[in-house]
Amino acid sequence: MTTRDAITAPISAAPIGRRTVLAGAAAGAATGLALPAAAQAPSTGIDATRWSPDYVRSIVGTLDVDTAADCAKVVPLNHTGKVTYWYVGPNEASPRLDHDIDAQFFAAFSLTYPNITIEKQSFTYNDLLDKIRTAALGKSAPMVARLTLLWAPELAAKGFLEELRPEDVGYPTSEFWPGAMKSVMWKGKTYGVPTNNQTMALIWNAELYERAGFDPDKPPATWDDLVMYSRVIREKTGKFGYGMVARRNAGNTPYRFMPQCWAYGGGALDEAEARPTYGAVQLGNAGTKAALQASIDMYIRDKSVPVSALTNTQAENVDPFIAGNLSMMISHPSEYAVMLDRVQRLSGEDRKTADAVIAKVRYGLIPQGPARRAVVFGGWNAHIFKPSVVAGKHDMSAARAFVAFMTGPEWSTKLAWTASNPGNTRGFRTSWMKQRIEQIKFLDVTTSMLTSGIPFPVIPESAEIMNIVVPDMMQNALTGRMSAAAAADNAAKQVKDLLSI
Amino acid sequence: MSTATQARPPRREAGRNPGLLRRIYRHRHDYAYIAPALVVMMLVIAYPIYDTIYLSFFNTPPNLALEDKIFIGTGNYTRVLASDSFHEATWNTLVWTIFSTLFAFVLGFAAAIALNDAFRGRGLLRGILLVPYVISAVAASYVWRWLYHSDFGVIGALSVQLGITDIPINFLDNTDRVMAALIAVNVWKEFPFAMIMMLAGLQTVPDQLLRAARVDGASAWNRFWHVTLPHVRHVALVTILLLLVANLNSFTIPWIMTGGGPAGATEIWITHIYQLAFGRIRFGLASAYSVILFVVMMTMGWFYVRALTHGDDKRPG
Repeated sequence: MTTRDAITAPISAAPIGRRTVLAGAAAGAATGLALPAAAQAPSTGIDATRWSPDYVRSIVGTLDVDTAADCAKVVPLNHTGKVTYWYVGPNEASPRLDHDIDAQFFAAFSLTYPNITIEKQSFTYNDLLDKIRTAALGKSAPMVARLTLLWAPELAAKGFLEELRPEDVGYPTSEFWPGAMKSVMWKGKTYGVPTNNQTMALIWNAELYERAGFDPDKPPATWDDLVMYSRVIREKTGKFGYGMVARRNAGNTPYRFMPQCWAYGGGALDEAEARPTYGAVQLGNAGTKAALQASIDMYIRDKSVPVSALTNTQAENVDPFIAGNLSMMISHPSEYAVMLDRVQRLSGEDRKTADAVIAKVRYGLIPQGPARRAVVFGGWNAHIFKPSVVAGKHDMSAARAFVAFMTGPEWSTKLAWTASNPGNTRGFRTSWMKQRIEQIKFLDVTTSMLTSGIPFPVIPESAEIMNIVVPDMMQNALTGRMSAAAAADNAAKQVKDLLSI
Repeated sequence: MSTATQARPPRREAGRNPGLLRRIYRHRHDYAYIAPALVVMMLVIAYPIYDTIYLSFFNTPPNLALEDKIFIGTGNYTRVLASDSFHEATWNTLVWTIFSTLFAFVLGFAAAIALNDAFRGRGLLRGILLVPYVISAVAASYVWRWLYHSDFGVIGALSVQLGITDIPINFLDNTDRVMAALIAVNVWKEFPFAMIMMLAGLQTVPDQLLRAARVDGASAWNRFWHVTLPHVRHVALVTILLLLVANLNSFTIPWIMTGGGPAGATEIWITHIYQLAFGRIRFGLASAYSVILFVVMMTMGWFYVRALTHGDDKRPG
């Protein structure tokens, strides 16, 4: 049994489908997915060494998937049981399409495994980790959770996660990107299966570029250029240049600052190096200080970014952007769908302004710096929690069936529809991938950034470093409480203490 | 006064407390009735307190399971008391608590006095003034966050349109103003509580006393100072203590509006403890913080009980 027919139709009928862009817009889809050049296994039909837009176009639609048959090899389809599942599901800020696909996913699983009940709970990104930590300590964790790759090492180190290899759910490890597999490893053991991987891009308002005298279709080449663009836009248009985000304890902050930091040659540890050891703290180096100084220049000297950057998350940048008050921001391809959704709710002059902005939205590569071009290599993994930390009876077979269903080529493609890419690389060969690259505007740009993707350090302390230490460093510098050098040194000392280096 | 002819006092003198066990025995049936509730309270209050105190003597780094925690004695307490962040959070907590309590009480008391007199529309006004108190703190925090928004907030826009400032006032992203801005929100949220409490107190002031004072020529101020205030003294004390405890325990408003920022300017004890426990995964350190806060709160609780009972526990049982 395949879920293909049941799923394709609603997706095609969804709003984004009606706004399908020219296929040419997706010509570069998945450009440069040549991550660490390890070729995928021949059985997957994917050759990462040949990765190019043409290659991707040549492989999409060449694979028929029978998800139910794949899952049946792992757990019989007549298995009776229950799975408790926590994840970051679509919320008010998500495009309608995400809600539709989410509903279709659970409906499709119920069709495939009619006797397995799913008890799901959706949380916001900023809440899920705290909830999971607390629940696991209280032996009330869910059986399965889909967690961002930043969190796995800590949970594995604490002994909350069951060992789980892709082979345990019927797929060879070679079907997943090596960088993604690294994020589910802790001390040589594997604790999860990647579901999707993504990077962000620079989004800008071409109208404001034009008014400021810049080429409307060309983004700033370097971070220094971005600082200059931001200043000139502020001076000539009165609008904010760049949507800086520096809120504490919010995942949005490191996802936007670390690419800048890495580009200048900085870093938290040595995660930007080819073979990171996570043994050297880079927060106090010249690169980090230069990146921080560039942020200070935008915030304090030029006043070209929102004053509210210290309390903003990315969600607060979207409304000013579609109102034409903000020129540039860093985000996912799904941000475009979010903007389209929000525009539908406007009327009158607000609607006219927003429509004009939407027509002028452009996506491009995040600028490079003196050291490199960089972006956070993001993604999500499916994990199974140990029976000892799960509330009630743990149905391991039902949990494996659910993970197998979620991480196969079909649903790892569909669940990544608007914002990401399939974690299972066979997903690139499916007809759904073909549909995606024709539908999702700017997908080509964000996938192009994958070659510049750098994962956060794969250590248990990573969440603390990225969500607290780095934002604190930025706030200390941006409020003028410390100089860039002092803030960076202070953060470096905190990390050294933290890791006892 | 004592004389030789006076009858011999009973064996147990009036005013002297019997032993605790004897009192419990005498009220054994009463205690039997509340025993189930006591057991539940032991489970949900006493055990967590014990566990927090126990955990405060261990180091719990994020790369270790909680079962593998390392005993460090009073190390967490030493570290807490010596840290700059503790002193900063303590100062912020004092500022937050004292000013929130002071302004909420004064405003609430003033509103109570105004609403204690009969006038047309009093009921409606009472209802309107209660609105901040019944609104969810989470919803209120988000609304105020947008009102204060440094770039597109209503307050900032109004100040520019009215010519008060050239640019929107930066409330939340400025380390000098953010605490005052948050205290204003907290006072707005809390003053109706003080108003209700004090209104209830004012209604217990005997009217004949106030009338007598008026007949005697006492001014409005003198009637308030010498008649009203002594009568509501205990209610005022209880209200202030409850406000102090509530403000020491505040979390929602600072957490949602600023997350403790910018640069720690609104980091108070509770948000700092939460950050330590769930952001930094330092359960041991957070427990030590919590124990210190617990001691402070219990001290205030003792005063609260004293104020509430007016020394009732000194009477014979």
